[in-house]
Amino acid sequence: MTVLARSRTDVVLDARRRRRIGRVGIYAGVAAILAWCLQSTILADTEWSRLGGGLGVLAGVQRFLWLDFSLVPHLLVPAVETFMMATLGTLLGCVLSLPVAWFGALNVTPSRFIAYPIGRFMMVVSRSVHEIIWALLFVGAVGLGALPGVLAVAMRSVGFISKITAEAIENIDPKPVEAIRAVGGNHFQVMYYGIVPQILPVILGTIIFEWDINIRRSAVMGLVGAGGLGLVFFRQMAQFNYGGVTMVILAILALIAVGEVVSHYARKAVT
Amino acid sequence: MAILEVRNLRVRYATAGPEILRGIDFSVDADDFCAVIGPSGAGKSTLIRCINRLVEPSAGEIILFGEDVRALAGRELRRLRRGIGMIFQEFNLVDRMSVMDNVLSGRLGYTGSLRGLLRLFPRADIDRALHILDRVGLSDHIEKRADELSGGQRQRVGIARALMQEPRLLLLDEPTSALDPKISRDVMGLVKGLAREYRVPALCNMHDVQLALEFCNRVIGLQDGFKKLDGPVETIRKADLDEIYAMEVL
Amino acid sequence: MLRTADGDPRAPIKPLRRWSRFRYPNTLLSYGAVLGILAFLAYSLEFLDIDLARIVGVFPRLGDLIATRYYPPDIDYVARPDFLASVLHTLQMSLLGGFFGVLIAVPLAWFGAHNVTPSRRLAYPFGRAAIISSRAIHETIWTVLFVMVLGFGSLAGVLALTMFCVGFAGKLFADEIEAINMGPVEALRAVGAGPLQVFHYAVLPQVRVAFVGIAIYTWDVAFRAATVVGFFGGGGMGLYLKRTVQQLETNSVAAILLTIVTLVCLAELLSGWLRRLAQRMR
Repeated sequence: MTVLARSRTDVVLDARRRRRIGRVGIYAGVAAILAWCLQSTILADTEWSRLGGGLGVLAGVQRFLWLDFSLVPHLLVPAVETFMMATLGTLLGCVLSLPVAWFGALNVTPSRFIAYPIGRFMMVVSRSVHEIIWALLFVGAVGLGALPGVLAVAMRSVGFISKITAEAIENIDPKPVEAIRAVGGNHFQVMYYGIVPQILPVILGTIIFEWDINIRRSAVMGLVGAGGLGLVFFRQMAQFNYGGVTMVILAILALIAVGEVVSHYARKAVT
Repeated sequence: MAILEVRNLRVRYATAGPEILRGIDFSVDADDFCAVIGPSGAGKSTLIRCINRLVEPSAGEIILFGEDVRALAGRELRRLRRGIGMIFQEFNLVDRMSVMDNVLSGRLGYTGSLRGLLRLFPRADIDRALHILDRVGLSDHIEKRADELSGGQRQRVGIARALMQEPRLLLLDEPTSALDPKISRDVMGLVKGLAREYRVPALCNMHDVQLALEFCNRVIGLQDGFKKLDGPVETIRKADLDEIYAMEVL
Repeated sequence: MLRTADGDPRAPIKPLRRWSRFRYPNTLLSYGAVLGILAFLAYSLEFLDIDLARIVGVFPRLGDLIATRYYPPDIDYVARPDFLASVLHTLQMSLLGGFFGVLIAVPLAWFGAHNVTPSRRLAYPFGRAAIISSRAIHETIWTVLFVMVLGFGSLAGVLALTMFCVGFAGKLFADEIEAINMGPVEALRAVGAGPLQVFHYAVLPQVRVAFVGIAIYTWDVAFRAATVVGFFGGGGMGLYLKRTVQQLETNSVAAILLTIVTLVCLAELLSGWLRRLAQRMR
């Protein structure tokens, strides 16, 4: 090694050290913020004595493992209810998404300054309000049962479906539309042959995707009184029947698995 | 003295699929710069990759520096691989990393996990990297990101990375296919010079037969998974080459 | 090509092949599926005892309800210091849950990515199963479970949010990893690097920018969930929501809901801006 090369090595090593220190600084900053969060939320809030230490927690967890198989026959009807809630909710969500998407798509909206912002606002609200909150609102409006669950799921889905639909409408290729118009098609024919074939696969795929997620959401609607597996879960929880709680969760997982399989094949058929 | 001996090498990708290599035998000596030529689909790339087991052979023996390559696993396999430098057709650099970091990554087979994680390479490695980067002519580009370089420059980073490993064998997989003709000659000249200087044998999969005949001292010709040609470059006749490439439709 | 009948130009042209819009069996299956779905939906309405007429009447009724009982929203309620403190706690919980969730999700995504997993037989199924099960369980169920074991409070809430984020970010991370260019991975394996080194040097640099975007998005979604976990005992502002709902203080409920919507919109704006910043991070 020449003397020149050695001093170059020092230059390289120094540069690397400086970069490393910079990175460590950022990590330290992040750690500090997290420590502050940790302190104000958990460390100040938790009654460590009540937890019973590590063994106490483990004992608590272990109680979940005593599966309560007697619950199984009582799970079938709620499972079907949950499944139906998801399906109905998704369908209602689609129906409600159509006007929202129409308002929220720049190229077809009836008014850029009134309807478009309204459409976009409704998309945001639908996605921002948690499905539990929607469920609470609807239970207050229509009482307990499956209906508020369906409505809550529908309102929650509107946001995503209408957003994707609006984007698909905004991104359509004008050439096929122009072609149909050139051939002499009327307004409806232009829509049916020019626009709809372009956007339908994307929209159907989105609907199937959202339906899959809605199974997960429908399962918890029962926690606020909307029926289905969530209600069974709530009852088991209230009775502190740990084994029963586990059974319900297994049922939910099974239902979601069914939903995954169906949605996989449905999406393949649609696209 | 043969440093690499391959006997009856067979490769089949799927259990019911066709055999890509159907019983290849050859050996490589310590001072060889050996080319592997043949039409596309002949199995050249697969052959190269069997040596460091990036592709698993289905049958046969590969003895490298006296060790049975197929018997190694886990840490032993990594130990073997760190002694084999490989240069790729598409360069295979980490685009977002600097040239220096890319070259240093050649030492990862020698570096412990924690040091590697923190990118703490010892001073000796930095020295060696700077020296090699001088030899390949990239000293002015050390801190540049790999994707800011031209094709020829990127391949030279790949060469530097391979040399960082202090390899006992070089494997090259169509190193010049992605480069234009003049740059290809420069790169091949550079590799040949460095291989001679560091006294490292090389096995090189070549797409361009002219380059192979010009820079290599031995030629192995494959066709359809069989070895059709094997000998010093002086003994290769045009008729032999025509026969190997006869089935290739351009 | 169409053939004319024996050279007579006025005779009708007989086509060589028959074509029909309705292809058997595809068309039958498509129409069958649509009919099946409609039948299922009709049956569902029956099974769940839902009156279609009621659905139509819901929205006017909801509007009426909002106008009378939920308006005006009780802003004083949300201006209380203890409520504001809980808002801060909600934010902190979302940061903690998001951070630890993302942290755990990275190695799980590595395991669960088919192309670079360190072990196809052990790590891969484990990673995939962990991500899928975290994802499948709703965040409110996670909250209830943790509350049952650990009691009420932020600890349960943060853990529930963490589990949610592990599932959410894990899937996105794994998809991103499976889409990388395998060239550098092959090169680093050829150099003799171990699986962790290959991940660090060949995989992470390629996905780094996308991961930051996903992490920010995950925090955004976690914040939405955090506003509600208090309802089930997980700490944060959800507790006040539960209290006011149970005591039928609908004006306060309205105020809290407005706060939640506003905060979530702000969080979405912030996360959108941060993600655009991250995109320019090369």
